[in-house]
Amino acid sequence: MTAASAASPVGDADIPRLPRQTGQVVTAVFQAVAADPEVAVLVAEVGDADEAVIRWSNPRASELLGRARSDLDGELLADFLTWPMGVSAAAVFRRERLTTTSVTLRTAVGETVACRAHAVPAPGGRLWTLQVHPAHSEREIALRASAAAHEHRFRMLAERSPVPTMMSEQGMRLGHVNDALCSLLGVTADKLVGTGWMSYAHLDDLEAISETVVAVLAGQEREMQARFLDSHRRVHYTDMRFTPLHTPGVGDGFVATLEDITERRAFEEQLNFQATHDALTGLPRRTRLWEHITAVMADTDAGLACMFLDLDNFKLVNDSLGHKAGDALLVEVAHRLTGSVRPGDLVARFGGDEFVVACGTGSLDAALEVADRILRVLNEAVVLGGVEIHPRASIGVVLRGPEHQSADDLIRDCDIAMYQAKARGKGRIMVLDAGARSAVYDTLTLVADLRQAIEDDHITLCYQPIVAYRGADASPELASVEALARWRHPERGTVPADVFVRLAEEHGLVHDLGRVVLETACAALADWQRELGPIAPPRVNVNLSVLQMSDPRLVQTVKRTLRRFGLRPDQLCLEITESALMKDPDTAAMVLGQLRDHGVLVAIDDFGTGYSSLAYLRQLPVNYLKVDRSFVAELQDGHTAVAKAVISLAHNLDLGVVAEGVETGTQRQMLERMGCSLLQGFGISQPLDETGFVDWCLSGYPAANGGTA
Amino acid sequence: MTVIELDLDAVLDTLDQMSSQRPVAAQIVATSNNENCGASQLAAILGADITLAAKVMKLANSAYFGLSGRVRSLQFAVAVVGFNTVRSVATVALSGTDEAQTVPDGFWKTSVHLAAACGALGPQFDERTADAMCLGLLAQLGAALLHQADPEGYVELMSRTDFGMRRFEEEARRYGICSTQLTAEALHQWSFPTEMVDALREVRSGDQGALLRTAYELTARSLYTRHRRTPLERLSQGKVTDAQASAKLAAIKDDVETLRSAMGL
Repeated sequence: MTAASAASPVGDADIPRLPRQTGQVVTAVFQAVAADPEVAVLVAEVGDADEAVIRWSNPRASELLGRARSDLDGELLADFLTWPMGVSAAAVFRRERLTTTSVTLRTAVGETVACRAHAVPAPGGRLWTLQVHPAHSEREIALRASAAAHEHRFRMLAERSPVPTMMSEQGMRLGHVNDALCSLLGVTADKLVGTGWMSYAHLDDLEAISETVVAVLAGQEREMQARFLDSHRRVHYTDMRFTPLHTPGVGDGFVATLEDITERRAFEEQLNFQATHDALTGLPRRTRLWEHITAVMADTDAGLACMFLDLDNFKLVNDSLGHKAGDALLVEVAHRLTGSVRPGDLVARFGGDEFVVACGTGSLDAALEVADRILRVLNEAVVLGGVEIHPRASIGVVLRGPEHQSADDLIRDCDIAMYQAKARGKGRIMVLDAGARSAVYDTLTLVADLRQAIEDDHITLCYQPIVAYRGADASPELASVEALARWRHPERGTVPADVFVRLAEEHGLVHDLGRVVLETACAALADWQRELGPIAPPRVNVNLSVLQMSDPRLVQTVKRTLRRFGLRPDQLCLEITESALMKDPDTAAMVLGQLRDHGVLVAIDDFGTGYSSLAYLRQLPVNYLKVDRSFVAELQDGHTAVAKAVISLAHNLDLGVVAEGVETGTQRQMLERMGCSLLQGFGISQPLDETGFVDWCLSGYPAANGGTA
Repeated sequence: MTVIELDLDAVLDTLDQMSSQRPVAAQIVATSNNENCGASQLAAILGADITLAAKVMKLANSAYFGLSGRVRSLQFAVAVVGFNTVRSVATVALSGTDEAQTVPDGFWKTSVHLAAACGALGPQFDERTADAMCLGLLAQLGAALLHQADPEGYVELMSRTDFGMRRFEEEARRYGICSTQLTAEALHQWSFPTEMVDALREVRSGDQGALLRTAYELTARSLYTRHRRTPLERLSQGKVTDAQASAKLAAIKDDVETLRSAMGL
């Protein structure tokens, strides 16, 4: 139906055409109206003075007004019914159209009943039929009361809920807010309804809130975090949860609850700070440094210089003044560093006494200026434990370039530059040198290859005999054989043992390397014992790295390996250099003691070069001293004192003694005269591969060229 | 005092004639009465009248609804502003008051104030903001009709009566019906919800008229410095106090600006 048709007056076009039995139809309609138990019908005649007089009423009208129908006839309508204020009878009784008006009925007992009246004009111009319905039927009243009670309950629930809640019926305009929201923001509800609440949302979050509301109005449920400012302009962080609210026939709105997560967030931020910042200095840790650099590098045009700073001689402070002083120095350095950089630069503690500064500059000069300032400021005096110290540091600087794809690349390069600075004398700034970087890359590649070689059993052993001479004419006796690790790199050829052992020590591979050498040597000895019988060496000597001494599993590993290959403990002699031994004599004494208790023999290698404390030597559980090759080499020049002293010392301590690096018969004879009968060196035999060693044994231990076996 | 015999039927017939000139507006008024009508259906009808559609889009994107620039579809615009608002915009078009040169001076200024005042007061009277806003926006339709029927007389009546209750009394005396009750008759004719019609009919007394009475008083206070004040407690049946007046007036003032711009009035 269109508005135009809805608004049409009651005219001829709206009156249905009557069928032939008009009289019967009129009677039928009249009966129906008269008997209608729901609708009160009054027929009123309106005179010239606009006074309406009741001419007929149905039983329901009589019942509603509490008067007999006969008492109503001829009475003024105004005695029983009141129009709303300002509404005249003329406005109600309209000749050309139906009108509807709210009216108040007065019953016989003085009660008033709110009703709605439809006035329908009858042909003729003087009579109107007035259909009167109570404004609300009992069912309607009950339903409304029930709905009102429901609404009241929900409203109370929302208003008293401790969860701040807002409700919009349309768009962003709020119709209702609850007490908890008012309390959260410290304002009264009238400040928040409408669009007032938006002025309490944080300006930076309003856009996101609006976008969320748009999605919610389109029917989605959403959650988001948003900040609100209360009446004291304090920021509250909230979790907002939106639910769409559709009112049929009205439109779309939303209900949103806000959870104040300010305290939780502060706690989380504190935890996050603790997780990403160093507790001692308060500086960001590596994770934050990585995030910062990665974020800057995301912009391909952003300039970035990175500097790696390592304090010089920090260990000295720790060792001499104690860890407390060391910590105080780190805190002071952190303070000085943050005071030396520019706004926007980041200072992070990398670990120990290492710091990294990320400078937002693409200019090397600017970065060096910062580095210079840092060195200058750091060098100012600081008093620790009553001692005045002038801290110094080595700084490696690198400028971000196309070769840097990640934070890792950049930090690795400034680390390399820092090592260059250290290597060139400390207390200086070095900008990354391409040659140095390539050397470091080379080393890292070699380490990776070494790791692979150990895993793939590509580390081989050579064996150098240790022979005993019991008098000038006596045949040499094979006393032992020293296992020497060898690595033949597929591309680089043979890598010197001192190079790859050092790499293994520096990169955590020494335990694996040591295990491989020990197992291979023991396996070989077991094979020789089986295959060569009496001409097989009685034991094998294996070198230990100083780092292996700190391995708590070393003793167990040795025992297990001996068991595995069916060897007695005295068939194994472990060699450790004198200098390694003296790095931590107490630990060495303990570990070697456990090994010797088990029956394993122990030799001190390169003796005479490591400044051993003789007092320690007496206590150390060793079986042999090995005279360093340098002392053997100088024998022929007449410098015999050291070799003599070592041999004499061994005898006095009741230890065996082996001379290393014996190359000539003269050396052998001189050593024999000094009382050293155990000899090892090129003069006896060069190190041999396994096959060569077996042949050497089978050939009766022939002396090498130049030697006099 | 002169009493004018106002031919109510003739006045309402004028509106019927206007309906035939704005068929889309008339269809919207009729369709949006249907509770089963959805936003998509209403938007489809609205789309046939570019001027009306543009007005609804502008309104939905106004600061009044807080979604400035984010409402991009007509269907969403209808959902945001609500069916009652769409119907009110259509009713304004239907009545011709948006284009008529014959509306009284300051007609739309007061209408927008009334709309903002009703919207701001709505929640306190358990009315939806947007529904209340529509009530205020359309309340003066009867005044426009009285002005059309009796141009000189109505202007003279306006000049000697205060906006609000005193003017209603004078209108009833002169025309036998006050302007808001005439609006009620027009909206009743267009089958607007009974609650809205009753709110207009009962503007002079009765519970339903309290919101509109209060809105008229606040509008008068806002626009006419020489207005003789009636206590808000009495007009609002205790729901609004004079102590709240200044806060309400401030809120209304903000909304007036956004509504005026949004509705192009």
